[in-house]
Amino acid sequence: MPHKPASRHSLRRVTALLAAGAVALPLTLAACGGDEGEDGTIELEILWWGGPERAQATEAALDLYEERHPNVTIHRRWQGYDGYYDGLSTNAAAGDAPDIFQIDENLLSEFATNGITYDLSEFLGDTIEVDALAPGLLETGTVDGQVAGLVAAQNTPGLIYDRTVVQQYGLPEPEIGMSWEELIDWAEQISQASDGQVYGTSDPSHDYKALWVWLRQRGQELYEDGELGFSEADLTEWFQLWAEARASGAAPPPDVSNPAIGGDVSSQLVITQQAATSFMWDNQLSELSEGTDHELGLTAYPGDPSGQWARPSMFWSIYAGSEHAEAAADVINFLINDPEAGQLLGAERGLPPNLDVREQVADSFSEAMQEVVAFEEQMVDQFGDAPSPPPPGHAEVRRLLEDAAQNVQFGRATPAEAAASFFEQAASAISL
Amino acid sequence: MTLTRIPSETRVPAPPRAPAPSKRRIGRRQEAMAGYVFLTPWLIGLIGITAIPMLYSLYLSFTRYNLLRPPEWIGIANYERMLSDPNFRHAVWVTLMFALVSVPLKLTVALGVALLLNRERRGIGFFRALLYLPSLLGGSVALAIVWQAMFGVTGAFNNLLGLVGIEGRGWVNDPDTALWTLVLLAVWQFGAPMVIFLAGLKQIPTELYEAAWVDGAGRIRAFWHVTLPMLSPVIFFNLVLEMINGFQGFTSAYVIGNGNGSPAGSTLLYTVYLYLRGFGNLQMGYASAMAWVFLIAVGLLTVVLFTTGRMWVHYGDGDR
Repeated sequence: MPHKPASRHSLRRVTALLAAGAVALPLTLAACGGDEGEDGTIELEILWWGGPERAQATEAALDLYEERHPNVTIHRRWQGYDGYYDGLSTNAAAGDAPDIFQIDENLLSEFATNGITYDLSEFLGDTIEVDALAPGLLETGTVDGQVAGLVAAQNTPGLIYDRTVVQQYGLPEPEIGMSWEELIDWAEQISQASDGQVYGTSDPSHDYKALWVWLRQRGQELYEDGELGFSEADLTEWFQLWAEARASGAAPPPDVSNPAIGGDVSSQLVITQQAATSFMWDNQLSELSEGTDHELGLTAYPGDPSGQWARPSMFWSIYAGSEHAEAAADVINFLINDPEAGQLLGAERGLPPNLDVREQVADSFSEAMQEVVAFEEQMVDQFGDAPSPPPPGHAEVRRLLEDAAQNVQFGRATPAEAAASFFEQAASAISL
Repeated sequence: MTLTRIPSETRVPAPPRAPAPSKRRIGRRQEAMAGYVFLTPWLIGLIGITAIPMLYSLYLSFTRYNLLRPPEWIGIANYERMLSDPNFRHAVWVTLMFALVSVPLKLTVALGVALLLNRERRGIGFFRALLYLPSLLGGSVALAIVWQAMFGVTGAFNNLLGLVGIEGRGWVNDPDTALWTLVLLAVWQFGAPMVIFLAGLKQIPTELYEAAWVDGAGRIRAFWHVTLPMLSPVIFFNLVLEMINGFQGFTSAYVIGNGNGSPAGSTLLYTVYLYLRGFGNLQMGYASAMAWVFLIAVGLLTVVLFTTGRMWVHYGDGDR
């Protein structure tokens, strides 16, 4: 059963639902006779992951859609990211997935190659407008020539820093293009200036996206043709870099770092004010800003900004077994291209993929979201090419990277040993 | 425990004259039918929810299956893969450490507390209830979250240590200690075996103790030579049950390990790894194979327990 938290809209919706049900009942009986869908009422189900802020924005947009299309009822379900794919995959296996679902690059190719997603190409330029999409974004949802998902929003890795702390100790704010070594030196100064109260930077050695950007700056990739795109020596060097940062006091010891790993956003060290930076996605600035009384700033990860890319933060896909694919496509078109929807959705998922919408609605954004927009505008010309989506097994690789990084942090393994065992384990994780 | 068999004659209304055997057989058959009819709800559950899914998972263990696409037969490849999977070995090792430490410890604590509670004092019932309480909260997610907070860097446990001047650490975040917080959580739930021990202790005839005392045995000798042998069937029962439970521990490890066995894989119990493979990576074939290896391993272990049990379990009725 579709459930959603109570909101002020719910009573109205229940009434609408009952009314629609009362209207539809005789027609469904008629439908048994073979006249299918003559009544024109359509029920869709939509599923996404996220927090309350996202839910509120998405519900508001869907309400607007229902208002404009009285014959369409959209049942909404949402939940946290943890366990999201368990449920969705199980539903898909049972042939009972929602008509529209949110999905990210971690599983898009897996879902597409297994025939779960509807090929949207027939709707492009017709039901779904794509002319105004930011360049390159449409292609990110294409798997083996099928349009498996339509980009719902765009983001890029973002280094979120504590501006209040940085100014308090009279240090310059970190900038796009500063090298990793410069960041670590800068962080060391903060640690010293604050007398150990605040560590200059959090420790991203376990974080696949930080590693990914760092690799790309060296002309490599996290994955190449479904295999790991880097060597044991690269990973050793990465671990070594952060081992030194910890040794110099620039980055915190594992006791401090560890609770932030795998916890929710509120446990990030820049929020708990234990460190002056956190390695995040740029659109998370608005969510993070609400968790601290300090002012936060946003910049690129260290190194050449071409290591970053305009990333589809998530996609909307249609279930291949949906009975109302066309109607569902229209909802997706609305969510992506309608300026009013864009205003309601804001930049919570990331920036609107439609450039016109982005321009029109940016003024109405909150201060934090406007900072995200300004940052993306700075980055847009410097982005490198988007990498291909991660292969199946990516979730396990991420876990193994965490394990390896933690073994180094706690001194249970040298960087070289940890890298070696990572490679040994990852081999059996990918492709099974 | 013995099952007393009620002779069927007592249930079947006795016919006035000596009945023809065939009629009686029909009566019996009808009775059996009625029995099965009454069992139907349970049978449907057993077959539909346990037996069929189990057999299906056996089939899946020989396939590559990601939930999304029909299973593809790959023979014993999943089982072969397990042999060369370092994480599999690691998970086995973590699980063995967890079970082999937590189970004996839990039983020892349960027995100790049961001994303390096995006396008639005013208000003893209150203490029995109080000590059983943690087991009611047991394997809940809420408790695991409390545990995580309590043994964190700024948790209550470190504050307590701070009072006596010891500097603590992030117990749940440190790969050297995280597993032991899980063990502690498991041991703390000693209520169920404690109650069983308590019942067992009350079954021991006081004459045996009197006889031992007359022979000059002290408390400790009486414990070793009367209590333990007389209690051995109960100890054995608890051991088997808790061993199986211990190996199947999941909830607390899943919560405290952030769902991925962290920190550094130190809380990667077998069940957690199985879950990660199945649902985290959609490798249901591999996960099913792991589940079957697990079932067989726990089954074998139980057999070993029963075999060795003959050597030390004393059933008190002459045969061992």
